[in-house]
Amino acid sequence: MQRASAVLHRLLEGITVALLVSLALVVISAVVARYVFNSSFHWYDEVASVMLAWLTYYGAALAALRRSHLGFSGLVLGLPRAARVPAFLAAEAVVYAVFLSLAYAGWYVLRVMAGETLVSLDWVPLQVTQAVVPIGCLLFVLAQGLSTPEAWRRLLAGHDAEALEIEAEIARARAEAPDRGSTA
Amino acid sequence: MTALLVFLGLLALILLNVPIAVAICAVALVGMVASKGVFGLYNAALSMFDGATSFPLIAIPLFILAGALMNTGGISRRLIAFVSALIGFVRGGLAMVNVGVSLFFAEISGSAVADVAAIGSVLIPAMKARRYKATMAAAVTSSSASLAIIIPPSIPMILYGALADTSIVQLFVAGVLPGLLGGFAMLCLCHWLAVRYDLPREAAFSLARLWAAFKGAAWALLLPVIILGGIFGGIVTATEGAGLAVVAALVIGAFVYRELELRQFYQALIEGVTQTSVVMLLVATSAVLGLYLTEIELPQSLARAITEATSSKILVLLMLNLLLLVLGMFLHGAAAIILVVPIVLPLVHAVGIDPVHFGIILTLNLAIGQQTPPVASVLVTACSIAKTDIWDATKANLPFILVLLALLLLVTYVPFVPMTLVEIFYR
Repeated sequence: MQRASAVLHRLLEGITVALLVSLALVVISAVVARYVFNSSFHWYDEVASVMLAWLTYYGAALAALRRSHLGFSGLVLGLPRAARVPAFLAAEAVVYAVFLSLAYAGWYVLRVMAGETLVSLDWVPLQVTQAVVPIGCLLFVLAQGLSTPEAWRRLLAGHDAEALEIEAEIARARAEAPDRGSTA
Repeated sequence: MTALLVFLGLLALILLNVPIAVAICAVALVGMVASKGVFGLYNAALSMFDGATSFPLIAIPLFILAGALMNTGGISRRLIAFVSALIGFVRGGLAMVNVGVSLFFAEISGSAVADVAAIGSVLIPAMKARRYKATMAAAVTSSSASLAIIIPPSIPMILYGALADTSIVQLFVAGVLPGLLGGFAMLCLCHWLAVRYDLPREAAFSLARLWAAFKGAAWALLLPVIILGGIFGGIVTATEGAGLAVVAALVIGAFVYRELELRQFYQALIEGVTQTSVVMLLVATSAVLGLYLTEIELPQSLARAITEATSSKILVLLMLNLLLLVLGMFLHGAAAIILVVPIVLPLVHAVGIDPVHFGIILTLNLAIGQQTPPVASVLVTACSIAKTDIWDATKANLPFILVLLALLLLVTYVPFVPMTLVEIFYR
């Protein structure tokens, strides 16, 4: 399970970083094209927006794997250990129910969209751009499942996901500022 | 009745620690399926996609990317050295440096936590070494980083602008004057505290040192000039300005300062992607909730009910401020914006509050929310670097929170402060 989780982690990291870098390149080249070459890409707005949507869904699955989605854990962590378990299970069940139903609905919508294309690029079918909804939702479910054991351990130990994230962020900043204190 | 059910459902799910984005979606899905059957579900899938395809919101990942590049490329350290040479010689200089650097820098990256970690891990140990109490070091770092979210470029403003269909450029401009005023007030407060507690000065002012530090930081200082100049000058949109910020930070970090390391940069990219997606999933699911709320006409009925009870702008603004302050204590900024904006916007329009003005009020409320436990990620980060208790730091933070509250009152009831520059340049 840990191995599967690591593979999914790598995969989602690769996809999202590639999407972010290409999104930045599209926006930058559009600016350069407009001011340096005096021409604009007619597909720019639409394609960049679709890329953002893709980034959203693949990234959301990555964030699910890392359990980084914003939430309020104050009450559940304050409960006695015996009561935390049903609360945890109920919350997990809500996540699965939401994303499985959205995956189904997203898949249904794809079938309805057969034959339709982007407005600015008529050779790109909407089925391709919108496929990210069912795919992203299924990946989210998978990520949620794979990260359950870790979340479960944290819950029993009473660790807050946010506290762990803050620690990681500080460790990263410290690693990047080896000469800290030198400004005093 | 439906409205109450929506509210209670949402509250129950959030308290159960369901991720807020999922809680929003769950409530909306149940509502839509109850009213329209399975077609409600299909509509939800469509608006989940449309909600995430907003062109102005592309600025969010790009600014986050630029901030990550600045953090890893040696730019933040040079800014600290420059501001130290500029104001470090005043009593309480190091605290003032902290405020100054935050204003320049913080929240460009969209994650106040990452910025506080970057600035705090340099300045907090330095402050402790110079006899500042750990609690004060944490308080200054945390509250000045939060104030910085009203200074452009600001991720919460981009989010609000996109949700409220309001000009992001005007929001950026409106934040400038309140941000500078708040920064100045915080500098004065630091100096006053330093005199009171006999805190030290840093190295005496030297023109040669300032010049050397300026030369080091000149490129970093040029960065906001290029970006904001481009955006305010109408040459590029906010999204494209964010793209420029990426190029500028990349060129400066990789070719001018040559401190950009690929591995750190890749890590920063992944953090940036995660933060972006966390916010964007909220945006996408809130589109579903927005659709449902519009169907049951909740925002409109709320606006009608309140305007029938009172037509006083002053009172409505007070209510909105109280609501936002309380929400800010329990929710993260992005989640609060996404939950509140679609619901209160018709009310804001109905009583004649300028949406740009409201955007600044909202952002400032969230800045205060980042300082008030239990949910106060920025303060928690600063405390964890300073190795001090969050409640002790909150006591030290009270004067700074008061400054922020005073600024909030000023911005709320003297619209002249945020709106003057907007009126001059854009209307």
